[in-house]
Amino acid sequence: MKTRTVVIFTATLCTTATFAQELPQSNNTWFTEGQAALEAALAKQPNTNRATNVILMISDGNGVGTNYATRLFQGQQSGNFGDEHVLPHEAFPNLALVKTYNVNAQTPDSAGTGTAMMSGIKTKAGVVGVNEKVIRGDCTTIEGNTVASLNEIMSEMGKATGIVSTARITHATPASAYAKSVDRNFEEAVPEDCTQQADIARQLLSAMAAGTIDVAMGGGRRNFLPTDTPDDEQDMGRREDGRNLITEAQHAGVSYAWNDETFAAMPLDGSVPLLGLFQSGHMQYDADRTGEPSLAEMTTAAITALQTAGGDNGFFLQIEAGRVDHANHGGNLARAVRDGVAFAEAVAAADELTDDAHTLIVVTADHEHAIAFNGYCGRGSNILGLCMSIDGEGTKHSGVPELADDERPYTVAGYLNGPGSVLREDMNFSGVRPQIVEDEVTDLDYIQQALIPKSSETHSGEDVAVYAKGPFAHLFDGTIEQNVIFHIIDHAVTAE
Amino acid sequence: MNRRQFVIAAATAALTGTHGHASDGKIIMRDLYNKDLSFSNLALSLEGRSITVKGYMAPPLKADANFFVLTKMPMSVCPFCETEAEWPDDILAVHIKRRLKMMPYNVRIEASGVLELGAETDTRTGFVSRVRLTEARYS
Repeated sequence: MKTRTVVIFTATLCTTATFAQELPQSNNTWFTEGQAALEAALAKQPNTNRATNVILMISDGNGVGTNYATRLFQGQQSGNFGDEHVLPHEAFPNLALVKTYNVNAQTPDSAGTGTAMMSGIKTKAGVVGVNEKVIRGDCTTIEGNTVASLNEIMSEMGKATGIVSTARITHATPASAYAKSVDRNFEEAVPEDCTQQADIARQLLSAMAAGTIDVAMGGGRRNFLPTDTPDDEQDMGRREDGRNLITEAQHAGVSYAWNDETFAAMPLDGSVPLLGLFQSGHMQYDADRTGEPSLAEMTTAAITALQTAGGDNGFFLQIEAGRVDHANHGGNLARAVRDGVAFAEAVAAADELTDDAHTLIVVTADHEHAIAFNGYCGRGSNILGLCMSIDGEGTKHSGVPELADDERPYTVAGYLNGPGSVLREDMNFSGVRPQIVEDEVTDLDYIQQALIPKSSETHSGEDVAVYAKGPFAHLFDGTIEQNVIFHIIDHAVTAE
Repeated sequence: MNRRQFVIAAATAALTGTHGHASDGKIIMRDLYNKDLSFSNLALSLEGRSITVKGYMAPPLKADANFFVLTKMPMSVCPFCETEAEWPDDILAVHIKRRLKMMPYNVRIEASGVLELGAETDTRTGFVSRVRLTEARYS
């Protein structure tokens, strides 16, 4: 250890500011802000209160890389370079990295990852609320292999519970809160010979009738309506059993909303269960959203209703930003980051509405995507745009795009695979990179260049982060298996 | 295209600030609608005139069809998003003069033709379009 290092280390142990001023860089802003961060870290105290409320916020497909893109996007929208920006969850005091693989999949899917977080066990890809003994798609294997979810456990403890998603409410992540299914795709029907389980939409209705789920908001109306029944926007249902689950829910006393106006009229006094189905399929990308509530608005409504419904017993709420994942699948980073911002706004809303002393907020992703970032880009290069070269004379980029060996510019972000592949099917999967300019690549509809041709860009097995604040948030530390998230949450609500 | 889908197209245009011609003088599909779901002034002003629109060729409904659907983004299929392929929200039917030469779904093309507005059903396929290019060519 060099002398200088010893000096700094010793200073840190005593008073951090005194020795810092003896260094030539001690007045540098980076240095003083570093000292302030150190002091904040030293002041951290673990919160060992029992958690009354828990909010688990999952941004689907928002791994460390995608989250980085959203950070830069929101920062740049605010007028700064982007790198220095801090998303609401990035200001949380505790963090861990999460290993997301499923038991049979190095690259996970949302059904297996949702089950890991919600039930405390890893399982196979493509199955929901069941353990790894099941065979995907085989209903005969479900008996004896179902697992309990956080919503069910919390409901047993007297808490109110809810689910909010911008995907179909029967989609994998929200389904992991209430469904037991050998296949995530059994959303509105099961195979003819499957008698051992109901479809996922019916299971949601049953959970609401049983009081296990008090609030459910998202998309997916078509899975609740018969094939011959149009919904409020004239889209037809998909149920072939003829059941109208929306009518059945209303008859059971559930308050139903289908657009922003009926959403605004929902009673948030906890007196009745709430079911919001705001699209026939998934809710709109936030960039395209109209006539339906934002994720932050749904988050606020759900928390308000659950706080009242749960009373002193508290509540549990799972919130999913479901379409960050979908935009990534489309290779369309412009929409991914805008849904990422909508998620960040929901995190801020949840934080604002709750008390850190008794509410554990856990923010994470279920998996990452095959997204990657190029170099060497100067500060302020548009995260959606071209990688501009570093300016040795200043901090902002030079305004001159970096060129690849093909003498063409390239974007900061790209995907390893997907519909943006530069290999063309009509050229025997050979090709050259298209010439690109800044206006084109920053367009909302732009598809980032990719290497491997695939119609849908894929997930990746790379770690995701989990950010936490509130009771026992300090247990989120190191590199953890994804199912450990459940165990920390469960400990927080049961700790003596 | 239902009411909501028109709204989607209109909202996209509003958010991105790309009303009117793209910088290169060519049109992208979200330029064609207003926020109130009506056709944009640009679309109305160009009705009956020859225009060029950028987009992607969706996999043709029939191999020998005399039209194809232009989509604003590649018509990719996402197994984790959808259990079956879904038609995009905003589309443009391109009726061509010559035999259809298929293009990969993810290769950007430009289609030029005479802009037609208003619902019309293709008699061969039953496909209903609200916006069309006729006498079109593409590259």
